[in-house]
Amino acid sequence: MPFLSALKQSLILGCRRLVSRKIYFALMVFVPVGFALFFMDLMSEGLPLRAPVAVVDLDDSSLSRRVVRNLSSSELVDVAFRASSYAEALELVKSGKAYGFFIIPRDFMADAVGGRAAELSFYSDLTFFIPGTLTYKGFMATAVTASGGLVKTTLTASGLLDDRAAGVMLQPMVVQTHLLHNPWTNYSYYLSNSFIPGMFALVIFLITAFSVTTDIKQGTSPRWLAASGGNIYIATFGTLAPQTLVFTLLGFAVQALFYRFCGFPLHCPPLHMLSAWFLMVVASQAFALFVSGILVNMRLSLSVLSLLGILAFSVTGFSFPVEQMYPYIGVFSYLYPVRWYFLIYIDQALNGLPLYYSRFYYVILILFTLLPLASLWKLRRHCLRPVYLP
Amino acid sequence: MCSWFRSVYLVCRREFRLVFTDAGVILFFFLLPTVYPIVYTLIYNPEVVREMPVAVVDNSRTAASRSLVRSIDALPSAHVVGYASSLSEARQWYASHDCYAVVEIPRGYDRSIGRSEQAVVSLYCDASLLLRYRALLLDMTQLQIAFDADIRQQAVDIIGEPAYAAMGSASSVGTNAVFIGDTSQGFASFVMPGILMLILQQSLILGITMLAGGRAERRRANGGIDPLGVAASPLATIMGRLVCYLLIYLPMTVYVVVWIPSMFALPDSGSFVDYMLFVFPLLVSSCFLGMTLEVFVTERETSLLVVVFSSVVFLFLSGLSWPMYAITGFWRALASIVPATWGVQGFVRLLSHGSSLHAVASPYLHLWLLAALYALTAWLLVRFRRQPS
Repeated sequence: MPFLSALKQSLILGCRRLVSRKIYFALMVFVPVGFALFFMDLMSEGLPLRAPVAVVDLDDSSLSRRVVRNLSSSELVDVAFRASSYAEALELVKSGKAYGFFIIPRDFMADAVGGRAAELSFYSDLTFFIPGTLTYKGFMATAVTASGGLVKTTLTASGLLDDRAAGVMLQPMVVQTHLLHNPWTNYSYYLSNSFIPGMFALVIFLITAFSVTTDIKQGTSPRWLAASGGNIYIATFGTLAPQTLVFTLLGFAVQALFYRFCGFPLHCPPLHMLSAWFLMVVASQAFALFVSGILVNMRLSLSVLSLLGILAFSVTGFSFPVEQMYPYIGVFSYLYPVRWYFLIYIDQALNGLPLYYSRFYYVILILFTLLPLASLWKLRRHCLRPVYLP
Repeated sequence: MCSWFRSVYLVCRREFRLVFTDAGVILFFFLLPTVYPIVYTLIYNPEVVREMPVAVVDNSRTAASRSLVRSIDALPSAHVVGYASSLSEARQWYASHDCYAVVEIPRGYDRSIGRSEQAVVSLYCDASLLLRYRALLLDMTQLQIAFDADIRQQAVDIIGEPAYAAMGSASSVGTNAVFIGDTSQGFASFVMPGILMLILQQSLILGITMLAGGRAERRRANGGIDPLGVAASPLATIMGRLVCYLLIYLPMTVYVVVWIPSMFALPDSGSFVDYMLFVFPLLVSSCFLGMTLEVFVTERETSLLVVVFSSVVFLFLSGLSWPMYAITGFWRALASIVPATWGVQGFVRLLSHGSSLHAVASPYLHLWLLAALYALTAWLLVRFRRQPS
């Protein structure tokens, strides 16, 4: 069969396959798009501000009330509870009502003004990382401001220093922090940019494995292969190319949602991210094709790919950095195409580095497409003699 | 009555046979809850971010600035990789991924401090991952506080006697920050207790729906009748299967909630009895939820798809990463009908805070409510299944 007509026939078959069963639509469109919308909506605030906390004011003086007022005006915490003792506040945390508490000791005002030792204590519940960190920041800012204000007042009152010098005395050295390209510490920026492509990659794994092994399961694979003139490369290309198109277009829509409508940072020409997405899609398909070529059996391929795919969310370092993992664990992150996409996102979209510095990430994604060459011969052999083992 | 118990026993016995003759189910019931907790903990086990490469641009080049750089290098989270001659050189290092942060010390650093002017040191930090910048920022805050106290002391020493009196009274208000729960601020200690609950729920649902897929396939092949089915009332059917799954999962639970935390030194402040009492309704409601989700499963393979994708959604609905108080409206409602949400909310506190069962009464009661709800739906499903005509 001439090459072109085989290719044409195979592509037609590939397109027909997409509308042949509901599961294709459900998995290729509904799941990833639904997940993207869920994610974007859940974290649309960027940061979970106003964590509920408790205050234990044992002093109840004008000064302590001012500290509590300062704390209430912080956007990070919401003073939702007044507890009368340490034990009561701790119980609020233990039962999950509050995410931290702030204690003003008895005789705080008298001690502070009289120059005796007084201490503001605050407890942040790090069982939940993000609210714990936010309450810590809110508490810290209030406590440091309160103690700094007192010191400054005393120093000025002593007559040794004027107001400005006392201020300098408080903080002779300041570290001014510049968080590059995400000064709001928006949580959604990097979680959406990693987990949504991760979900797409997982779907691509499963759909690829499903569509190249389903004919073997049903015993129709000799016909599938014959439609492309017995060439396994044309057969898999015809099956997968229409899916590549769907996933790429959906991905572009998601990127438009990120960078165009939700204002996520995009400090590179859009083409850099669009091409990275396309390469990620193809590389993930190639990886899945490689694995299902080795395993051939549909259920085994699906199981292995989903067990691997679900680990991707952890091992590719979306939350815990790869370079901090044990080396023998971290090395697995490089097996996942989505890891390289994530690195491109950090370099290009977030940090706006010149393309030169990310060149290897693109090259590696391209190299992934060579993987199936190593296993397609086996798939072909099994397609000719389909045996389904349940 | 006696015959009812007998049919429960028969259903249970048959279910055991089905479980142990199905390689896929064995994989999900035994291998997955055994291996996944270990794999996940190994991924996160380094717990904290250490020795992040930091570049320094020292425009001051004095003893004071070098002392600052040495202190930065000594921070647990930072490792000074070298001096860049200018900010643009440091930028290049950053672009070639040789450092994640740049510290710039101003030209007049030493002089400002000597003259009692404020010296401003700039920290430029990569913001791609929360854990990286969080570690460095917290450490730098501590460093600044320590340095300020030091410099202040020097200034006071120069002024002499009158300043001692003023400073003595002025430095009296201290701050004391305490982290509770996950006291080491470790990532595995934070995320693993919650993940354990999700693993229990998801592996149960995976196995149960896969068994159901097998049943559906057998029914299709045999004209609507399952040759391996046991004739029993709907209630006996679901109870018999529940007993089977629970008998398998109770030992697994001991491994997952007791051994894993002690193996990896995760937070483990509660008592064994509380753990088991709390997890029991999670298992019951997950079993019934699995039997309810059977309605979507027509093939053995579909079960995988149902569960794999829901895992990530359930993780984010559980309030572990994005806190519960910030989940509102529809998502809150959806979260509250997933057993693992309540499992995470309660179990994490049992483990990390050593809360009593009484303190987590609300999640505990919700788990029992869900168990009742899904028992009802599972019963309805068996009761009104289309019979072969």
